[in-house]
Amino acid sequence: MQQIIQDIESRFTITDKETRRNDLCFLTVDKLQAISLVTYLRDYQGYASLTLLTAVDWIEEGNFQLTYLLNNPSTRTEIGVRTMIDRENATMESTHHLWENIQTYQRELKEMFGIDFPGSPRIDEDFILEGWDNIPPYRRDFDTKKYSEETYFPRPGRETNDPSTYMKSKLYPND
Amino acid sequence: MSIKDILTPFTAWKRVAKEPVTVRDPFNDRPGADRYRGFHKNDVDKCIGCGTCEAICENEAIDLVPFKDPVSGDSGLRPRVDYGRCCWCALCVDVCTTNSLSLSNEYKWIATDPEEFRFTPGIEEKAWDKNEKGWKKPEGNYEFYNLERVSMEHLHPEERNDSFIEMVKGFSKEQAILEADRCVECGICTATCPAHMGIPEYIKAIRNDDMEEGMRILYETNPLPEICGRICTHKCETVCSIGHKGDPLSIRWLKRYIADQIPEDKYKEILNTNNLEVNDKKVAIIGAGPSGLSAAHYLRLMGYQVTIFEQYEKAGGMMRYGIPEYRLPYDQIDKDINYILSLGVEIKYNTRIGKDITLDQLGKDFDAVFAGTGLHLGRGTGIEGSDNQHVYYSTDMLRKITSGEEIEVADSIVVIGGGNVAMDITRSLARLQMQKFDKVNIITTSLETEENMPADREEVVESREEGATVYPGWAPQSIEIKDGIPQGLHVVKCNSLFDETGRFNPQCEMDVKNYYPGHMIVQSIGQGIDISYISEEFKENIKFGPRGRVETDEYFQTGVKWFFMGGDIIQGPDVIHGIANGHKAAVGIDRYLRESDFPNN
Repeated sequence: MQQIIQDIESRFTITDKETRRNDLCFLTVDKLQAISLVTYLRDYQGYASLTLLTAVDWIEEGNFQLTYLLNNPSTRTEIGVRTMIDRENATMESTHHLWENIQTYQRELKEMFGIDFPGSPRIDEDFILEGWDNIPPYRRDFDTKKYSEETYFPRPGRETNDPSTYMKSKLYPND
Repeated sequence: MSIKDILTPFTAWKRVAKEPVTVRDPFNDRPGADRYRGFHKNDVDKCIGCGTCEAICENEAIDLVPFKDPVSGDSGLRPRVDYGRCCWCALCVDVCTTNSLSLSNEYKWIATDPEEFRFTPGIEEKAWDKNEKGWKKPEGNYEFYNLERVSMEHLHPEERNDSFIEMVKGFSKEQAILEADRCVECGICTATCPAHMGIPEYIKAIRNDDMEEGMRILYETNPLPEICGRICTHKCETVCSIGHKGDPLSIRWLKRYIADQIPEDKYKEILNTNNLEVNDKKVAIIGAGPSGLSAAHYLRLMGYQVTIFEQYEKAGGMMRYGIPEYRLPYDQIDKDINYILSLGVEIKYNTRIGKDITLDQLGKDFDAVFAGTGLHLGRGTGIEGSDNQHVYYSTDMLRKITSGEEIEVADSIVVIGGGNVAMDITRSLARLQMQKFDKVNIITTSLETEENMPADREEVVESREEGATVYPGWAPQSIEIKDGIPQGLHVVKCNSLFDETGRFNPQCEMDVKNYYPGHMIVQSIGQGIDISYISEEFKENIKFGPRGRVETDEYFQTGVKWFFMGGDIIQGPDVIHGIANGHKAAVGIDRYLRESDFPNN
C-alpha cells in the first residue's frame, strides 16, 4: 500500500492523505487531477472496482466533498479519492466511461445534492424523489423539519406536552 | 403496442431451469445487523422525560405523553414514537441526555391496525424489548453537546487564604456563550428552582448575547440576581438533564454573568421601572433579608407604598451578616438592594419590631405586614463545657466578622457542624488565622458522614484547600476546659443520624473515641427562630406547627389576615426559598387588599 502511495505521489499532487487502516487510505486531490487519478488507479494499480461515490456538504466552506472509493480485489485494499468542488453550480466530470454502475451514484448525487455530472446517462431523470419540488434534500440548508411540518398532515389523536409546562401544571399550578 | 412488448415478458422463461439467485430460507431467522437501526427501546426508569428526543426529531415523529406524576428532575412524561413518520435516523438516541433511548435491531412488525404503529417504547411491551443488539449511542465517539462545563476561574488557595476578596472570577463573554450552548432547553430545572426561574430562557438570552432580555427574565422571578448568581444553593443544577451523562450546566454562574454585564444605572431603563404608579395602600416589611426585599420589590411594582423595618444598620439580612465577603462581596449586595430602593421602597434602619415599635402598631399604621425575619439565633450543642466564654455560635461570629468587628481568633480552633454555615465560619476563621498567625490550624467536625454532609461539595473541598481539616462522622461529647480556656473537643464515632422512622436519633459507638485540640470552639449546628417581636397575646391568633414553626397558607398569610410571614422562618433555609416566598406573599397581599373574595377575606 505504502509503495502504491509513493508511486502516486510521484505522479500526482496529493494535498492531503489519511491512512485509516493498513488496507484503507484516503487521498485528497484537486478537482483537476481527480479523474486522472481514479483512472490511473483503475488501469495501472488494480483498483478496478468502484465501491461507491458519495458526497458531503461542507456548507461553511462552500464546498461539496466527493469521495470515490475504489477497491483492489487482488490485494483487498481500498483507496478513497477525495476532491472538493464548488457548492455553487456544483458540477463534476462524469466517469461512467470508467464504471458503468457509477451513473446510478451520479443520478443520486444530482437528486440529493444537486451535483451535476453532464453527459451521465439519465442524469436528469427522477431517481427516488418523484415530483420533488424543493432544494435537494441532502443539502444542509434544506430544513427537514420545516418541510415535514408543511408537507405532512398531523395524524389525528396525536398530542404532546412540554416538560416544563407539564411539571408546572402538576406541581405548582397556582404560582 | 409492438410485438416486442408482447414477447418481452416471456424472456423470463429462459431462466426457468436456472438456480435462483435468492432463496427463501424457512429455517433460519434473518436478524438485522448488530448495529441495525430498528424499533425503539426505552429504559423508562432511566428516562427523565426531558423531551430532547422530541426536539431533535426532524420528522416530528415523537410526542411526550404522561407516564407518571412528575417529581423533581423527572417530568413524568415519556416519548411516544409514530412509525408513520420515523425514518430511523437515530438522532433521538444520539441526543438522549440519559442514554435511556436506543434502537433494537428488529425490523419486522406486522399489524393490521395502523394505530398500533404509534407506541411508547418501554411502556407498551414489545418482543424486541430484551433484544441486546441494535443501535446505542457509541460511547466517547461524539457528543451533540459538550459534556464538560466551561471551567470557572477561581483564585488559587494561596492567593485567597489570607484575604476576603471574591474568589470566583466570573465568566468572560466567550466562556458564558460556550457554557450556555450546552443547554438543551428541556426546562426540567424550572420546577426544582423554588422561585421557578425561567432558566432555559435566560440561558438562551446569553446564547443570543442579549443581556437586556436576560435581565428582564431574571427579574420576573428573582429581584436579587447578583446575589443568587453567587451564593444560590443551585438546586436546579442537581437535576440538570445534561448532568446525567456529564457536568450539569453552571446555571448559577450564568445568572451571575447576566447581572454582571448590566451597570446599576441602566437597570430602571431596561426593566422599564422609571415611572411606577403609587396607590394609597401601605405595606410594612419586617426584615431586609431576601424574602423581605423580594416582597418589597414585587409589592412596589404593583404600586404599593412599601416600608421595610430593619434591625441592623444595613440591609441584606443573612446575605450581608451571614455570608462571608469572599463568596458575596458587599458591593454586589448593594447593587441588587440599591435598585429595589430606587423603586421607592423606604427602609427604616436600626429599628427593631417589639422594641422600637410594636407589631400591633404596625398593623394599625399599615394595610398589611410581611415578616421575613429569618433564623438569627445560634443553636448550641448543650454538651459539657459549651457554656465557656470561648465557645461561640457561628451566627454571632459571622455577623461580627461581616460587620467589621474585631473578634477573638485563637491559634487552634474547632468548629462543630457540617452545613454551609459551618464552612463559612471555618473558612472565615482560617483567613483570620492566616492573617494573624501566618498559618491555619482549624478542625471542623460534623455528625454527618462525608457523603451526607449538608454543605455544598465545593464548600468542603475549598475549606480543605484553604488549610482547614474536616472530619465528618463524629459526635461531640464534651469540651475539655483548663483554667477557663478550652483545650479541645472529645468526640465519638457517629454512624447514623436518623432511625427507621426518619427521626433524628444519632447512633454512636461510644468506645470509638477521638479528640480534637483547640483553644476556641465554634458551634454551627443550625439556627433558631427569634419571633420575640410577636407578643404572647398576638401569638394566640396565629397557628403553630408541630416544631414551633408558624403555619401559613399557600400565600404565606397567617391566622391574622393582615400579617404574612415567609423566608427561613417558614421554608428553607436558603436565599432562593426566601425570594420565592416573598414573591408569593406579595401576590397574596395584593389579592388580600384588592379582592373581596380572596379565600381568607
